[in-house]
Amino acid sequence: MAALSTEKKLNDLHWPLVATTLLICTLGVWNLASATHNSGNALWTAQLYAMLAGFVLIGLTLLVDYRWLQTLAWPAYASVVALLVGVALVGKSSHGAKRWLQLGHIQIQPSEFLKLALILVLARWFSRDETGAREGHYRLTDLFWPFLVILIPVALVKQQPDLSTAVVSLFISMTMILFAKVRLRDLFMLAGSAAAIAFVVWQKFLKPFQKDRILTFINPEAYAKTQGYHAIQSQIAIGSGQLRGKGWGEGTQNQLRFLPEQHTDFIFSVWAEEHGFILSILVVLLYMFVALAALDIAANAREKFGSFLCVGVAGLFFWHAFINIGMVTGVLPVMGVPLPLFSYGGSSVIVDLLGIGLLLNVSLRRFMF
Amino acid sequence: MLVRRNADDIREIRPRAALAALMVVCAMCVLVVRLYQLQIARGDDYYQQSISNYRKSLFVPADRGLLKDRNGQVLVENRPSYDIFLTPAFCRGKEKEEVMAKLAADLKMEKEDIDRMHRDYDRAVQSKDKLERFKPYLIELDIPRDQVDVIESHRVELTCVDLIPSPHRSYRAGDALGHVLGYMSEVTPEEMETHAEYRRGQTIGRRGLERRWEKELRGEDGKETIAVDAQGRKLDESVNQLLIPEDERYIPATPGDNLVLSLDQRLEELADKSFPGRAGAVVVMEAKTGFILALVSRPSFDANKMSQRITRAELQALNEDPLKPLINRVMNENYHPGSTFKPVLALAGLERGAIAPQSSIYCNGGYTVGNHRWRCDKPSGHGALDVKRALQYSCDVFFYALGDRLGLDPIAQMAHSLGFGQPTGLDLGKEIPGIIPDTDYVVKVFGSYSKGHAINAAIGQGEINVTPLQEAVAYAAIGNGGTVYRPQIVKRVEAYDGHTLQEFAPIVERQLEFKPTTIQSVRAGLVAVVNEPGGTAYATRLADIKFAGKTGTAQVVTLGTKQKLNPETQAYLSRDHAWFTAYAPAVDPEIVVVVINEHGGWGATGAAPTASKIIAGYFQFKAQDAANRLASDIADAGVTMPAHGGVERPLPPRENEQLPPEEILPPPIDPSPADAGPLVPHLN
Repeated sequence: MAALSTEKKLNDLHWPLVATTLLICTLGVWNLASATHNSGNALWTAQLYAMLAGFVLIGLTLLVDYRWLQTLAWPAYASVVALLVGVALVGKSSHGAKRWLQLGHIQIQPSEFLKLALILVLARWFSRDETGAREGHYRLTDLFWPFLVILIPVALVKQQPDLSTAVVSLFISMTMILFAKVRLRDLFMLAGSAAAIAFVVWQKFLKPFQKDRILTFINPEAYAKTQGYHAIQSQIAIGSGQLRGKGWGEGTQNQLRFLPEQHTDFIFSVWAEEHGFILSILVVLLYMFVALAALDIAANAREKFGSFLCVGVAGLFFWHAFINIGMVTGVLPVMGVPLPLFSYGGSSVIVDLLGIGLLLNVSLRRFMF
Repeated sequence: MLVRRNADDIREIRPRAALAALMVVCAMCVLVVRLYQLQIARGDDYYQQSISNYRKSLFVPADRGLLKDRNGQVLVENRPSYDIFLTPAFCRGKEKEEVMAKLAADLKMEKEDIDRMHRDYDRAVQSKDKLERFKPYLIELDIPRDQVDVIESHRVELTCVDLIPSPHRSYRAGDALGHVLGYMSEVTPEEMETHAEYRRGQTIGRRGLERRWEKELRGEDGKETIAVDAQGRKLDESVNQLLIPEDERYIPATPGDNLVLSLDQRLEELADKSFPGRAGAVVVMEAKTGFILALVSRPSFDANKMSQRITRAELQALNEDPLKPLINRVMNENYHPGSTFKPVLALAGLERGAIAPQSSIYCNGGYTVGNHRWRCDKPSGHGALDVKRALQYSCDVFFYALGDRLGLDPIAQMAHSLGFGQPTGLDLGKEIPGIIPDTDYVVKVFGSYSKGHAINAAIGQGEINVTPLQEAVAYAAIGNGGTVYRPQIVKRVEAYDGHTLQEFAPIVERQLEFKPTTIQSVRAGLVAVVNEPGGTAYATRLADIKFAGKTGTAQVVTLGTKQKLNPETQAYLSRDHAWFTAYAPAVDPEIVVVVINEHGGWGATGAAPTASKIIAGYFQFKAQDAANRLASDIADAGVTMPAHGGVERPLPPRENEQLPPEEILPPPIDPSPADAGPLVPHLN
């Protein structure tokens, strides 16, 4: 590791990924400036600082071999769970949910860091566990420990209540599990029991507003102006952008606040309204590129830990981008899922950039051993 | 701690990664397709929707047309006022409760109005049409000035409440013209369905002229379009100008047309003041045009009150009042004409030759047919009377005998030709036809015809029912020599700037041809009623204006026991109705006056004095007008002559030219001020 020259390091860096990340960040801040420039609250500068901090963190982590992170996995996991418990006890409420911890001037959202902690822990577990290799495949019973590890914090997040983050965390974890050797038959069983659980959850656990969201998704017109209002206004914003968009700062849906949460969950609608079809597709392609690059790095990693890390990060970007854009375009129900590096939110930005850092790290060290 | 490198494990990752990559691409394609759908396929549609999101149309209410009397005196105008509206979408939950509690206190709302406010709110919020909650709904019309101030001072808390300036009707005459003018009330949902131009909270004319001329009076609302944000707040003017095209920003309203009525406000006031009864009607009409000069229907209602701030209890009281104030007695109440019907008999008898002008009938105080005796007013009898005297004294026996001679059908025919038994055609809404029985009618109702029916009809009792307006039309025809006019009350429709859009000429329904001796005899009788000693209305004659008329005292059918009334009211309701019908002057009459004073007793005392005062007033006003006109002509001439640059313009012809065209009726009394002068001092 020490033998590595700086020059060699720079040459081996995954430059297309770096460029893509920088592009996403640039567009994201630019777009955020438009989304918030009427609020008199220059949130985009805060976002920019978070990104700069994220890039510094990427730089720092690149100095360390990612394999060393295995030792950090459990402590990271433990501290996130501790923070989540802390949120439940002394968290800051907003919009009827307790999701934030106040630390001096900054607020952090531990559920965002949970995603990263889960990626680390699961990557470590699957890279070390020999069951899959020994038996040729994993039985579901073999996955008891990973599931427990996933479900404890996810349940805590769900209780905040933050169903969306819980679901995304679950999706990322499941993506990683699918990369371990799980038989198709077991997958179906899993799907079946998931459906059964979903039924029970619907009947017993979902809060009325959560049910409403899903019902709204199924029939938005019936809920127009109440629940479906958000979905419809978002689609109006996107659709009214047409081919070329209305121009930066000219989107009436955005500027006149017909778009709800236009700086967080509905940030893509702002982009689509102001920049039109072609540049909307560009953004979709950028996320696709990040996800594909992550999978590529995973496939070419030298060992399992790195490979699983990258799969996890691929899941992180893919699920966030797909669910968020799917939601604002009306393909999926309304969920509070941020669009990576576009939505306002420091914790989320840091986590996304740390994820990119992991990809770069794994990619950088693919020739090293 | 060394991680074991397992190349096989890594290799197994590869196909899964490829599969995952494929799935990522597919998922992203779904998004691209969806974006295409939204932005390209349906882009125009969504673009329009995004525009209509921020456009808010505010109506600019049109000023409703004015109603004026024939001299331009304003009878109905608009007074600035405010209506209060609430937009459900902008206040919800706790805020809603606070706002409504505050409104109820500020507006001193009654319980039922508070309930209505909550009901309307719930209806809007629960409506299937999700835009419904964005439509402001009416809380209260026409807020008094002090409450406007209170609401204004609570502006900050009452965010979802709008005070909309909307002029309201002001009926200057108050009670007097309620039936004629009508009133305004909030448009109903059913009416809004059929008339798209009305919106919630607007008012529409009810009854009378307000209703009949709704379309002309209403005008056309203008529209202001503004840009609002998602909370419905108006945006800065600079943004507004950017978003709303200039030609759509403000479309002014077109005010409604004005109506110029044939009423004379002074005469109206006089008629109202000089009518003594609790219930009844007065009609003053031009005898040679059919234009109405004054109408009174008492009891009436206050159009101002009916138009906005009437409480449920007040409305109920109006509906349950035994005197039925909501009925326009001028044209919607049946009355026995009593003796005022006798001239009809006289006309029929003379025309048919049943009597001659000089032939007399002997009155011994009663008239016997079979075993029934009809009594005269004067039990000792009038002795031998010709038709003139019979009218003068209102001898019943003369007319019993005449009716008996004629039979029912000729009486009915004459009555019909004079306009009884059918609506007169006054364009003021519903009008009843009255009842003029003929033998067919009697057979249908009673099974058989007997002489008694004609004898009863002869003195305006029995089955005969007329309206005061029909009496006016008939007496005008007698006075003017046989022209039956259709009564009218609107002279002119003007645009808001005053230019005439439509002018109404007199409408002749029928021209009756009487033998000259017939009409002379009847008129002589009617003149004698007022002007010769012994005439039933001799006490009400005027020194300087000779007018003709006929008293009537109509017996009232005893009420059934349907309503429980106090004895005083019961006693009142069993008294006779007093009639007096007159035209003036006696020769070449200009006006006809009908007065019916319900339960007013004798026509001579209960009705004739009112008519006499009205006639005196009419000529007094006329003299005043002539004097004023002369004064202003002289002033005009004095001022304009230098302006025209010379004295050579001859004064007298110009004065003649200037005689206003409204004098359609060639007045029997020369309107020149020299003659008009002496009239005035004689009147009191």
